[in-house]
Amino acid sequence: MKLLLFIFVIIGALVVITSGIWVAITLITSNRHS
Amino acid sequence: MALSVAVVLAYVALLTFVAVRARAAREFEEFSLAGRALPLALVFGSLAATYVGPAFSIGFVGRGFESGLLFLGIGLAYSIQNILVGLFVAPRLRHLKGCHTLGEAIGQKYDQRCQIVAGIISVGLCAGFAAVMARAGGNVLHDVFRLPRWSSVFIVVAVTALYTTFGGLRASVITDAFQFSSFAILLPTTLLFMLAFHLKDGAATFATQASTATRNGLSVTSPVEIIGLLAAFLLGETLIPPYANRALASRTTNISRNGFILAGLFSVFWFMVMISLGITARSIIPADTGEDFVLLDLVKSTMPAFGYALLLVVLVSVVMSSLDSLLNAGAVAFTQDILKPFVKLPDTSSLNVGRAATIIIALVAAAGAVAVPSIIGGLLICYTIWAPAILPTLIIGLWVKRPRPLAGILSMGVGTVVAIMLWLILRLIFKYVYPSDVEIPPLIIIPAIGAALLAYALGHWIERYKSGA
Repeated sequence: MKLLLFIFVIIGALVVITSGIWVAITLITSNRHS
Repeated sequence: MALSVAVVLAYVALLTFVAVRARAAREFEEFSLAGRALPLALVFGSLAATYVGPAFSIGFVGRGFESGLLFLGIGLAYSIQNILVGLFVAPRLRHLKGCHTLGEAIGQKYDQRCQIVAGIISVGLCAGFAAVMARAGGNVLHDVFRLPRWSSVFIVVAVTALYTTFGGLRASVITDAFQFSSFAILLPTTLLFMLAFHLKDGAATFATQASTATRNGLSVTSPVEIIGLLAAFLLGETLIPPYANRALASRTTNISRNGFILAGLFSVFWFMVMISLGITARSIIPADTGEDFVLLDLVKSTMPAFGYALLLVVLVSVVMSSLDSLLNAGAVAFTQDILKPFVKLPDTSSLNVGRAATIIIALVAAAGAVAVPSIIGGLLICYTIWAPAILPTLIIGLWVKRPRPLAGILSMGVGTVVAIMLWLILRLIFKYVYPSDVEIPPLIIIPAIGAALLAYALGHWIERYKSGA
């Protein structure tokens, strides 16, 4: 149970980082198009 | 000190470069709705950057430190709200033709008087929220440069107003996306760093601290307060003008819906990261650390100087991304909802008025920042007025076939007045009659929405009776 909570937190952090990278990539590519 | 100043200056230079690349708006449609061409990632990133202000970052870390997972549960009400708005409201809003603002949506469904009232409430709320953000930004710069508070507030507001005035919504959204990427990458990385290198016994210590803090939180928060907080998080920030503008500026109805749903899902993970930072801090920094200083003290005591400087950049991002959206939304609401019903304006004049309004709202926010009691306190007051003032009229109007204008006006007027009166009365009671530190706004939101709904029903019934329909 304790480990599960810990793993859940780490997955949450990775999801947030991935979202940041996705938006950053879109920002770079959409700026290039315009 | 020198490193912190250098990093913050480098960040501001980079932000200016991003804003300049966004180009100046050439017509009002571009200034107010970014040409209705926003793709999903930018709608999502901009929405998330706007709602992640000081309260959802510094505030949530502090709440995690003091009451563990309790605020993760309360924050879920906010996530659910975003998802529900995405599923049911945003697509209907985007579907309306030629709509620039929430007030205009209300005007299309009711009449022009309702649009003006909604516009006045929108501008007032945007200025209030912006004052809170200006104060938070001023606090950060004051900590870095040791400047007087008034000049710190002025610098934050001036830089933000500069790119928002020229670039409008497009500049706001693009800089939001840049700022979102900064804090969405840096803050979770800080958490992973803490968990890997500073938390002894990893999972076991984390679970023990989470359980102790949550029990502590539940013991000091009454069920009535929890219900009030759930209501405030569920309704308080629903479709405030900057969110509505992003729903209207999406490229398609589907993007509008999915942007809100993704932003809602993201908030679950975001709250988890913030609360976890607070829980982790319990075994690292002193237990008597003030709620608003947990994040700063945690980073100061565990990261190298460069890490602290990066955190300051993150905090500047968090504040500016919310402030720019509020300035733009307030300016567009002023032009479209308050001025245009009285004066016919050609496109160039609308654009100039929008720009001038951005600067005026920025000045009002900078002046008002001094009067803000506290960051969380100021935000809660704005939420408490917004939900009863606008939500019943907006939601019912989007769903009912023939909404009655009198119902809309009565609901908006009564909702606003009841929320303000209840706040004043309870403030006096908890100050002089039963002195207490209880948070007042969450106690007001449900009765004020009840009053607004009753007023709506009354207005609907009177107009129906008059018309004999």
